[in-house]
Amino acid sequence: MPDNPSFLERHHFLLRRLHSLTGIVPIGLFLILHLTTNSSIVWGSFLGDSGVAMFQHEVDFIHSLPALVLIEIFGLWLPIAFHSILGVYYAVSGSTNTKSYRYGGNFRYALQRISGYVGVIFIFYHVATLRWGWSLPGAYLFDAHAASSTTAMALRAGSENPWQLAGILVGLFYLLSVLLLVYHFANGLWTAAITWGLTISEQGQRRWGYVCASLGAALMVMGVTAVVGFVTLDIEEARQIEASLHTAQQPAVETTLAPEDNAH
Amino acid sequence: MPAAHPASQKRVIVVGGGLAGLAAAARLTEQGLLVDLFSIIPVKRSHSVCAQGGINATNEVARQQGFSEWLHCDETLYGGDFLADQPPVYEMTHWAPRIIDLLDRMGVPFNRTNEAQRDLRLFGGSLFKRTHFAGATTGQQLMYALDEQVRRAEAEGKVVKYESWEFLWPVIEGDGDGRRCVGIVAQDLRTMQIRAFRADAVAMATGGCGLVFGQSTNSVMCNGGAASRCYQAGAWYANGEFIQVHPTAIPGADKCRLMSESARGEGGRVWVPRKAGDDRDPRTIPEEERYYFLEEHYPKYGNLVPRDIASREIFDICVNQGLGLGGKNMVYLDLTHKSREELDNKLKGILEIYEKFAGQDPREFPMKIFPAVHYSMGGLWTTYTSETRRPDPRQDLQCELDEIVGMKLGAPNSMSTNIDGLYALGEVNFAFHGGTRLGANALLSCIFDGLFAGVGIGNYVNDGPGVDEVPQGVYDEVTNQEQTKCDALVRTAGADKGENPYAIARELGDEMTAASTVVKNGPRMEEAARNLETLRDRFQNVRLSDGAMWTNQNLSFTRALGDMIVLADVVLQGGLLREESRGSHYRLDFPERDDTKFLKTTVAEFDTATNRPKISYRDVQLGLVAPRARTYGKTAEKASGESKEKKKETAGAGA
Amino acid sequence: MVTQAAKNEVHLEPGLKRTIRFRIKRCDGPGKPARWENFDVPVVSGEGVNVISCLQWIAEHPKTAEGADTTPVVWDSGCLEEVCGACTMVINGSVRQSCSCQLDNYAPLDGDTITLEPMSKFPVVRDLWVDRSRLFHNLKRLKAWAPIDGLHDLGAGPKEHTDDQHVRYKISECMSCGCCLEACPQFHQEENEENWDSSFIGANTIAQARLFNLHETGKQLAGDRLDTLAAAGGVSDCGNAQNCVKVCPKEIPLTEAIAAIGRATTIHRVRKFFRGK
Repeated sequence: MPDNPSFLERHHFLLRRLHSLTGIVPIGLFLILHLTTNSSIVWGSFLGDSGVAMFQHEVDFIHSLPALVLIEIFGLWLPIAFHSILGVYYAVSGSTNTKSYRYGGNFRYALQRISGYVGVIFIFYHVATLRWGWSLPGAYLFDAHAASSTTAMALRAGSENPWQLAGILVGLFYLLSVLLLVYHFANGLWTAAITWGLTISEQGQRRWGYVCASLGAALMVMGVTAVVGFVTLDIEEARQIEASLHTAQQPAVETTLAPEDNAH
Repeated sequence: MPAAHPASQKRVIVVGGGLAGLAAAARLTEQGLLVDLFSIIPVKRSHSVCAQGGINATNEVARQQGFSEWLHCDETLYGGDFLADQPPVYEMTHWAPRIIDLLDRMGVPFNRTNEAQRDLRLFGGSLFKRTHFAGATTGQQLMYALDEQVRRAEAEGKVVKYESWEFLWPVIEGDGDGRRCVGIVAQDLRTMQIRAFRADAVAMATGGCGLVFGQSTNSVMCNGGAASRCYQAGAWYANGEFIQVHPTAIPGADKCRLMSESARGEGGRVWVPRKAGDDRDPRTIPEEERYYFLEEHYPKYGNLVPRDIASREIFDICVNQGLGLGGKNMVYLDLTHKSREELDNKLKGILEIYEKFAGQDPREFPMKIFPAVHYSMGGLWTTYTSETRRPDPRQDLQCELDEIVGMKLGAPNSMSTNIDGLYALGEVNFAFHGGTRLGANALLSCIFDGLFAGVGIGNYVNDGPGVDEVPQGVYDEVTNQEQTKCDALVRTAGADKGENPYAIARELGDEMTAASTVVKNGPRMEEAARNLETLRDRFQNVRLSDGAMWTNQNLSFTRALGDMIVLADVVLQGGLLREESRGSHYRLDFPERDDTKFLKTTVAEFDTATNRPKISYRDVQLGLVAPRARTYGKTAEKASGESKEKKKETAGAGA
Repeated sequence: MVTQAAKNEVHLEPGLKRTIRFRIKRCDGPGKPARWENFDVPVVSGEGVNVISCLQWIAEHPKTAEGADTTPVVWDSGCLEEVCGACTMVINGSVRQSCSCQLDNYAPLDGDTITLEPMSKFPVVRDLWVDRSRLFHNLKRLKAWAPIDGLHDLGAGPKEHTDDQHVRYKISECMSCGCCLEACPQFHQEENEENWDSSFIGANTIAQARLFNLHETGKQLAGDRLDTLAAAGGVSDCGNAQNCVKVCPKEIPLTEAIAAIGRATTIHRVRKFFRGK
């Protein structure tokens, strides 16, 4: 080792392990919650009155959390930034050779890096436009009080007409990114078990692979559901529901379960 | 280029990084000496990795079944047809169990029994299971263990490796009895730099000379070049005519790959169809139509007779009786009756080799194998100091002598050639194996040689006068000699025409294989000697096709070819003059062993005036086991020529 | 690039003559430009022809397919039975030993082309010969040996359970050929020797850590080895592409070794952290 090892070299192991860990907790865990929440725009109608109501209820819950900004900063944005920056640094040190060695594992390795790059760009765009309100191309600001309608607008690049080019592009970008990020998480979960030494035997690795693949498939279904659900959402109707929810219930949290009860 | 040792410290040059060289290097560093380890290839790729079957040593199970170090010694001498000096064999076989323990401590993954004991297998020339093994890659495993220990010494600064350096010539100071070896001249095969290296002693551990026979089971660097150069510089070469032909190899276009004796040790059976030209799928040939000729002729040892005997039997079956598979010199080696699991546990390494190179699964199909040149019992002549001792009641249980003769540990002449300070270890040392080497004794002899002689070399160096006073001119002279040779060869690359070295090498190999392997006779060897003369002349007009002064393999190959021709001469002359049959040296015109005339070591000395060998004989040192007829309990039925004819008829009648 | 043969097993009658075209990447030495030369090699089926025997033929007939005189190709080789690791090269784009590349299976058709290149992760000495000293350096870096007390007679070694023997034997078959490194997207050529100790150590050496850490005496250095593997260039630089295990000619369970060492390293570092040393 060189005489003056860099910070990265001195804390190599810790950083590598933290990189692996942050990918699962909190980022991976958040991804599961996020996709569960967002896909409720579709499945919400099976459990409750409507997806819009269910989604709004969940968003309201999240926004009712104390010190949300701190949770976001320390629970999400910093870990994501850490995982991304270090991840890109690590990824550029690899060189894919899928042309010569056409093995499944090698393609997964390559895709893990590609999905990482795309993920970094997407997450930045996603947070910057929806949360921070940056006016990037196709941006649309998310409003927690009109969660479904503003999300749907965002996925259409701010246009109510879903079939505009900009909207289609943003929608596709979302769809692709979500799929890649889910892959990144599922594959990362699989390799983390090797990295940490939880799965050692080839058979063990294969079996854990099935578990990760199943989880990934489920999350992909949720991801696609969410994106498609928002893209095809009837925004007018959503706004009406949101408006009614907003006037009908104060405080929001206590009463959201009520519609279900009333239904019986 | 590695960082060199400080010039003032005493050091030993070890040439060759196989089992013997590594063992010697490890032992020498332990004695506080520095070692410069030269190897033509990275030491981890040395030819010792090719050894497959195992390493012989008495262990408790064998001992309780009646085996002992003494019997191991007896087997080795009997197997070698009593040509070996007996004290080295005694010492080696008695060190064997301790060597296994040492290797075990180094971490060799020997196969284990349920009780975590080291497992044993049966091997040729013995009725006892006394062969320790690590799968079917024992040589590789043992060599890696030694390689690791030497790497450790290297990390501690005690060994400097010169890998991809070729030994060119020993540096010898003085004349007559005052001669001593004070270093070597070597060439970096990448930069082509030639330079001299000082050393208080030089240990040659450069292996065998299989390439003299063209296709053999040896690695590509086993051309005998280094030994030949020492011989040309004045070291004696002994028993050159004793070349072992392994009965079971797989033919290939580049080399013959070994199919280990362990395949037979684990139950492999050698057979041919009783009917000549029977080309049915071997699996469909019923038991009674198979000719298990080794089992029939040697009921006691069966498939595990020594290699020279098995090779001659196969030769007889194929050449004389015409029963070889497809009319060729091939027979079946059959393991298909064994369970897949057991085979994979004990023989996977070699079965995979067969599968890869012959394209068939030997667990399903009988292997097609044939004899190939494998090992050189002969090599540089070495000496030792004998020591008379009382037999050990445990180790020498069956010994009836009042005293035995072993070797004195630490004697400075241990495994010294006739030139002081120049030692020969491992396969390049002629000692230990006599007329035939028993399977799984090679690994033993190489490690023993390094460990045992290492002590003596250490004493030689520590008590010696050192080489600081040797004038630089002595080294420069040899460096210039080698530089001149090298330059002359490189210059030929500019010539319009000349002989192709690869063609000469091919013809040399073909001729040597035809004239001097399994079955020899005087007229054929004389013819070969004449042909060798022609090849020698043609070599004078050799032309390189590469004149580069960077990584020129063409040069290295051609230079070695010249030395191979010199060695081939030794092999042929030794064979011609030895008018008897003993061990691997079998002559049709002299089929009997002749102890009166030839219970002697052949010693070849290079005559610089004629460039030819001068052959003389030295008595074999006995003192332990009296020579007896070497029959391996062969059934009388087949001993006479008449019954051989009969057998042919029976085989024919079965058609 | 991949010949038909690699895909379909073709059974050849013995004695058939055909010509194989070799495309060989040549280079006269470090820093010299690379060039391609073609050679047409006549082969006969059923004689066990492999890449080595063709290179030997080329050495004897150093003429390109276009008829120009050239020098014999330089390549590294040793045992020719896939136990020494020397003759490793890149054949038709993927790394393997050239001795076990049997042409009757690999290139059964007349006119099949075989491309030979030197390994790309090690500096070229000349033509197909590369300098793999870094492999052996890494074994030193890892302290890949059992620190025994010496060569004296000290009795038998530690007893070993059959299961451990099986694991260790398999790893101990590693012949340092470098296939796993050539195919690894995380392992790169590093000509500056000063950087060797902080560059990815590679699957083969990680597996050696498992080999020695499983041995009673080898274990004495387990902590040192795990520290080495926890540092930059250690086991955590593995990207889990798992090409190593696919290309390993000895089928050594390299990925299992990586996982086992991953676990050991984790435990070792956590323990070390709380022990405060």
